[in-house]
Amino acid sequence: MTLDQFKQVWARAAEKTAARERDYSALDAAAGGDGDHGEAIVAATRALAAAQGSDFKSLLTDMVNHLESDVSGSTSSLYGTLFEGMADAVDAGVTELDAPGIADLFAAGLEELGFATKAKVGDKTFMDALIPAIEALKAHAAEGEQAMFAAAAAAAKAGSEATAQMQAKFGRAKNLGERSIGPIDAGSASNADIWACFV
Amino acid sequence: MPMKKFMNDPANLTKELLEGLVGCYSDTLALVNEKIVVRKTPKSADKVALVAFGGSGHEPAMHGFVGLGMLDACVAGDIFAAPGGEKVFEALDYVKRDAGTLLITLNHNGDRMSGSKAMRKAQKAGLKVVEIVIHDDIAQGPDTPIEDKRGLGGVIPFIKVVGAAAEEGKSLEEIVELANKFNEGIATLSVALKVATHPQNGGEIGALADDEMEIGMGQHGEGGGGISKMCTADETVEKMLPSLVKATKIASGDKALLLINGSGSTTTMEMLICYRKAKSMLEAMGVTVLPGKCDELLTVQEMAGFQMILCKCCDTCAKYLAAPANAPYWTTL
Repeated sequence: MTLDQFKQVWARAAEKTAARERDYSALDAAAGGDGDHGEAIVAATRALAAAQGSDFKSLLTDMVNHLESDVSGSTSSLYGTLFEGMADAVDAGVTELDAPGIADLFAAGLEELGFATKAKVGDKTFMDALIPAIEALKAHAAEGEQAMFAAAAAAAKAGSEATAQMQAKFGRAKNLGERSIGPIDAGSASNADIWACFV
Repeated sequence: MPMKKFMNDPANLTKELLEGLVGCYSDTLALVNEKIVVRKTPKSADKVALVAFGGSGHEPAMHGFVGLGMLDACVAGDIFAAPGGEKVFEALDYVKRDAGTLLITLNHNGDRMSGSKAMRKAQKAGLKVVEIVIHDDIAQGPDTPIEDKRGLGGVIPFIKVVGAAAEEGKSLEEIVELANKFNEGIATLSVALKVATHPQNGGEIGALADDEMEIGMGQHGEGGGGISKMCTADETVEKMLPSLVKATKIASGDKALLLINGSGSTTTMEMLICYRKAKSMLEAMGVTVLPGKCDELLTVQEMAGFQMILCKCCDTCAKYLAAPANAPYWTTL
């Protein structure tokens, strides 16, 4: 994957999340959140799409800066931490990554994210889509980029859909207890849509 | 039903409300780096600074409490969204001083992440900062682990007491000790009659039937009563106050501060009626009730209801409560 291709993913993600903004907010409100995940993820993906850089390291660093100083809210903080871990993991000057390189990049981001949130699979958060997707990247890296991203997108979608049966353990939705069961988690839904943009 | 609010482009809410705030209170406030509200006349650098941050849409909290005897700087996030850690660090850097800074973080996931991030950056930059987390919500019951208790309106009297100590010139160590002590004695319980709409998308947050109220918004059981049929003012206070007394361990002979914080569309009349009942219950227990407030301090748009905030006050805290303050939404002469 070239730097340009990576940038294009985030341009598509900004478009895709903007088209589904209302859906995400409705899911957020239905599960007991404050009903603004649509606004939050659109602001985050727009910030990511606006970032500039001449190699992966400078682009990822600029993505973090845009996320953490232009945008508010936990969505941007979480994505910011993910991208911070990715920026730290790549050497300066790299402008193209192969499939295992991409998988390693996201794995490093996920490791960093572990310092910011204790959420894991089953807690009804965006981690229910993100963790299976990054695991799928690692598991399918040897099969080439196309197969790897297809597997990640499928894993994210399945992970997101599984949140419908879960009770929220994080965020405002947690206060609803069993009443949070039913709708899928908004953050996992938007994350799954973002993975689809890699395909 | 479409949202009915005086606003322009929803994307500009935070920017425009901050322009209004510093424009209106131009003798007290100034705006730096777009989202950081600071005192127009900074506190002298040999005194400890107080920095807070939080999502917008809860006005006058938190930026309305910047001023003499209260905050030195407050970072605004977008509607209901904590500002990023980078922005919080900018505020810490703006007020940095050898005397040190107290960073006040409300216990919500987004706020905690931004607070931690700002603290990591501050440490790297060699700034002297101590973070204190506010967790006054008792809605899930008095035995709830501290990490699970949210920060609510109790942060405002906290800012008043700790801000006065900082203004007096207490050291960071003394301030942290006072802050921890006062923080442990704050308890807040909320009651809602009508839910809020999100000003960016018009969506309703939560649901309550016309004849229902909910104590401990979004909770069920233990701490409050959860959703119930509408009660009178006195019945509502009778349901709420005992949990607050239990959580703060206030007993006969103690001094207490009682605040009724309106959520956005409950009238001052209703707040005063509820205050009167709560005060008489406390006095019947032998508690000395210090002068308080019935006002909108931390709101949630047009949500109807209020937060009842009870603080156990030592003599020092009582002295700081009465000390001068001049923030737009809290003035003590």
